[in-house]
Amino acid sequence: MAAIQEYKCPCCGGAIAFDSTLQKMKCPFCNTEFEMDTLASYDIELQNEQTDDMKWDTDAGEEWQDGEADGLSSYVCRSCGGEIACDGNTAASSCPFCGNPVVMMGRFSGTLKPNYVIPFKLDKKAAKDALKKHYDGKRLLPKAFKSQNHINEVKGVYVPFWLFDADADVNMRYKATKVRMWDDSKYHYTETSFFAVSRGGNIGFERVPVDGSAKMPDDLMESIEPFDFSEMVDFQTAYLAGFMADKYDVDDKRSVERANERIRQSVEDAFEATVIGYETVTKEAGSIQLQNGKVKYALLPVWVLNTTWNGKNYLFAMNGQTGKMVGDLPLDKSAYGKWLFSLTGIIGTVVFAASYLIWLL
Amino acid sequence: MMRKRLFAIFSALLFSMLLTVPVSASGSLPRLVDDAGLLSDSEEMDLLEELDEISERQQVDVVVVTVNSLEGSSAMEYADDFFDYYGYGFGAGRDGILFLISMEERDWFVSTTGYGITAVTDAGLEYMAERFLDDLSEGNYAAAFSTFAELCDDFITQARTGEPYDADNLPQEPFHVGGSLAIALAAGFVVSLIVTGIMRGGLKTVHSQPAADHYVKKGSMRVVKETDLFLYRHIDRREKPKESSSSGGSSTHMSSSETTHGGGGGKF
Repeated sequence: MAAIQEYKCPCCGGAIAFDSTLQKMKCPFCNTEFEMDTLASYDIELQNEQTDDMKWDTDAGEEWQDGEADGLSSYVCRSCGGEIACDGNTAASSCPFCGNPVVMMGRFSGTLKPNYVIPFKLDKKAAKDALKKHYDGKRLLPKAFKSQNHINEVKGVYVPFWLFDADADVNMRYKATKVRMWDDSKYHYTETSFFAVSRGGNIGFERVPVDGSAKMPDDLMESIEPFDFSEMVDFQTAYLAGFMADKYDVDDKRSVERANERIRQSVEDAFEATVIGYETVTKEAGSIQLQNGKVKYALLPVWVLNTTWNGKNYLFAMNGQTGKMVGDLPLDKSAYGKWLFSLTGIIGTVVFAASYLIWLL
Repeated sequence: MMRKRLFAIFSALLFSMLLTVPVSASGSLPRLVDDAGLLSDSEEMDLLEELDEISERQQVDVVVVTVNSLEGSSAMEYADDFFDYYGYGFGAGRDGILFLISMEERDWFVSTTGYGITAVTDAGLEYMAERFLDDLSEGNYAAAFSTFAELCDDFITQARTGEPYDADNLPQEPFHVGGSLAIALAAGFVVSLIVTGIMRGGLKTVHSQPAADHYVKKGSMRVVKETDLFLYRHIDRREKPKESSSSGGSSTHMSSSETTHGGGGGKF
């Protein structure tokens, strides 16, 4: 005995019945008609759907070898409580993030040893020059900020990052429409055809970085991306000479969420880009299964500059490898008002003159 | 004493006869007939002077008639007959334009004859009506008639150039300084907001990265399943808007005295 198959209308979601006069399936609620085969195939698509599986094998970092961390000293910031590590010969007096004094903790200890490091390629002078250039061409930057600006500190900091590697198996389903229009003597016709579009496949991700330092704002770190990971080498304490190293205080398990968010967005964009020839494409459902998800711990080079102006701290960061400089700047409100006012006047006058000329012609 | 009185009655009778009774064909009725009494004496004099001047100069009679009642005929019939019976019109074509308003049903009608048909096209009349109807409705009759007379003058002058005002060739609207300036400034403000917004945006360089496109392994993306399944279709049908007859020209009709007239009218 055959089971009674019940279908749902892809248009409105109502239960659908066979119309014997039409010899087709017809939805009693929205009057849309379907071929029998269409509904059967659509039903199979629906049953194939899975939920996301974005799990990672989180065993990043290594244990320190005996005596390996002996040459490192540890400092704690009195203000933000962050712990930084320095090569024994580098004395740190102030926190690179907030500029407050730090105190020596003694010998460096604990946590994990990074797997990789990208060594600094650019020096302190390059960072200062980059900051000057960062101010250029910004008409709404208060002039006083530029001229009175004293960079409190320029510090080379190795920032801890979690690097996520994975291959993703992807299944996506979209509802897409094609529109056809034509006219006859009395009417305009618009025909909208609806399609269920499925895409499946895989895509690999390599070293998606997530900031592992709570003191470093995540958006600031994402703004100096990308790093060139081909220059990444195995970690040696020798690379820390003359620089500071921040210890991770956001562990890899907590960083997974951010990595997943970015990977999911990329996967969705990439697969939606393969749905072509339609007027509209709307994602209906989709699943991402991660395979071989691995996390590594790496230190990446960042020049951190901070300055205080009108009682507010401005933090800038430069990618120590590529030189990309970022950091939000204050807005000169009166300059903004002047620009807005005078531009309105100039453009308004030009438009007025143009409209008069058009009237004359 | 008696003689003086008789003379007064006689002259009054004569005067009223002059006003209401047609005196044969040759256009001896004035170009302004205010039977409904809508105009003051001075307005009447000014308007008549204006109508006479335009009519003589253009060699096209421009006539204004006001009545209290159409006496059962339609506004078109009344206007056509008034023009025909009282012998208005210059030359063999009886060139003229007559503007009739009747207070009873608040009708207005412009009847054109001869060269008047050429000068005042259907589209042209619509344009004219837009300009005098407001005054007419509000009771500013003198202003409405004066506007009408000026427009007739303008339209006839334009028609003499060989290209009368018509559907695709209407007189230009005057330039609205205030309105244009307000629109221009509003547009300027919106554009300035966008420009200064971009300048402001330049100050902000810290943005989260929404995706991880940069870290996709090169050539690692493979699409192994592609199905595009047609589900259903919807057809919307929308009635086309009626084509507006902007063909231009003047439509004409025949009056009871077998004269061809053009024009049109409505209520005010």
